[in-house]
Amino acid sequence: MVTYGGDEVSALVLDIGTSTTRAGYAGDDTPKAIIPTCYGYKSATPSDGDVQMEDTPATEGESATEKSKPKVSMYIGNNGPSIWREDMEIAEPVSGSIIEDFAPIPSIISHAFRDIMRCDITEHPVLVTEAAWNTPANRERMAEIMFEEFQVPAFYIANTGVLNAFAAGKGSALVIDIGASTASVTPVVDGFVLRKGLAHSALPKLVHAHAQHLLTTQTATRPGIQLLPHQLIANKQAVDPGTPPRFTLREERVAGTTESYRKYYEAKEVDEWIQSVAGVLEQGWNDQLANQRGARHYEFPTGYNYYFGSERYSVGELFYTHSPSLVNSNPNLPKSIPTLISTSLAACDPDLRQVLMGNVVLTGGGSLFPGFLERLSTELSRHFTHVKIHAPGNPTERRYGGWLGGSILASLGTFHQLWISREEWLEHGKAIVGQRCK
Amino acid sequence: MASGVGVSPECLEAFQDLKLGHKFKYIIYNLKSDNTEIIVQKKGDVSSSYDDFLADLPEDDIRWAVYDFEFEKDGGKRNKLVFVSWAPDNAKIKKKMVAASSRDALRRALVGIAVEIQGTDYSEVAHESVYDKASRGN
Repeated sequence: MVTYGGDEVSALVLDIGTSTTRAGYAGDDTPKAIIPTCYGYKSATPSDGDVQMEDTPATEGESATEKSKPKVSMYIGNNGPSIWREDMEIAEPVSGSIIEDFAPIPSIISHAFRDIMRCDITEHPVLVTEAAWNTPANRERMAEIMFEEFQVPAFYIANTGVLNAFAAGKGSALVIDIGASTASVTPVVDGFVLRKGLAHSALPKLVHAHAQHLLTTQTATRPGIQLLPHQLIANKQAVDPGTPPRFTLREERVAGTTESYRKYYEAKEVDEWIQSVAGVLEQGWNDQLANQRGARHYEFPTGYNYYFGSERYSVGELFYTHSPSLVNSNPNLPKSIPTLISTSLAACDPDLRQVLMGNVVLTGGGSLFPGFLERLSTELSRHFTHVKIHAPGNPTERRYGGWLGGSILASLGTFHQLWISREEWLEHGKAIVGQRCK
Repeated sequence: MASGVGVSPECLEAFQDLKLGHKFKYIIYNLKSDNTEIIVQKKGDVSSSYDDFLADLPEDDIRWAVYDFEFEKDGGKRNKLVFVSWAPDNAKIKKKMVAASSRDALRRALVGIAVEIQGTDYSEVAHESVYDKASRGN
């Protein structure tokens, strides 16, 4: 076997998430290309009524879904879904950190590597990351795309939970990852995921839905807020906080705006609001404390602006507690962070629990939510004696923790012997993926 | 998942000398500067104290160590071999990544370890915490 002394492997690292796809060179500290995973498309014959394509159920029959999606034009990348186009639909190929629809994936990968990074994929080994609950069929499909469509010389697929634990310098850790659509708790022991202790839920989606409900519902002091993207607004005038907005719509665009585009943008407006003003109280919910915190000003694209008070904290509170009425009205409610952690720990060996709690790794862009880290440490120290949370202070390290871990691993000369080479792929086929990438 | 970093033969020789020959109190392992191999950095003298050992764990770099931990329990003297993975929070992220992914190769090569410690700050490798772990069980 060839051993490489230096670090000149020049591998590529690819991390496909629900919200963004990250791609870059191994050894770098930030991904070169960060593009939305969502993409826009126009169907071949929009008039034949076949416009419900984004509702294609997530079946395992990959070839079937491919055939049922005859798309003429796809709009990918930073100039894809963000630009308004007549009759353009928007679809999400990744849901809950798992790729549900592989059809657009090659185009997204190609866009990131070829169009943005301007590199020739056939010359570089590629390391791809995956969620701990990814299916074997899915990772084999990924290997197939890489070897067959992109002709890569070598491939490896690594678990984001393990990468995050390793990037924190820990062989054993409890990795809490808050993504755009999924919150997960992954126990990693000696570099391997403890599968039975894996817990994840669509908690960020619940927080998001609550925020959307909050904003669009009328309250005693303000009307329901219209969530319109700036792409649909021709002009607006400055108005006083809390007064109705004065703006004109781009009427010519309204008719050609599809339902999925509207939804995507409403979600985006809500996201921006959450990121700008929402937070979570460090010491647990307390009406008085929430009211004492100053109100924050936020202006929507319509020009409507308002000072948001304690309601901005009720949004973050959903990460930690769910009111009994909410639980009763929705039996399939995503598990809160404390529930996820206790579910995960309950499935682990009692001897391990102490080790895991002493090595909690907090990662994912969602964990940058103001007050999140402090609240987590309050909650955990209430139940455990020795708790240590490792949370990178650098936001890039937190947002791209999985990518960064993959970047370092793939840049090691010694890691070269672990890649699945093209020859091995041709000889052993799909089975080698499960054997090599554990 | 592993990094593929190897373990140099001297690591095992030193370990055997410590385990069977009791020639040293502790061994400090480090990564070779080109990240290809794990090597022995220091062999601690038999007479050295626990504080000497702690002084050999740098504040901002990773190490592995084996310490021949001696303690008293139920009136009798006991000995246990303790394996420490040292990765402080302010070590470079690349070092931490390599350390964590290479740890398993070294750990598996060393037979007869009774206690494993994962340390990120000095409180986690303090004498009391190690004693706590070592004296648990038999």
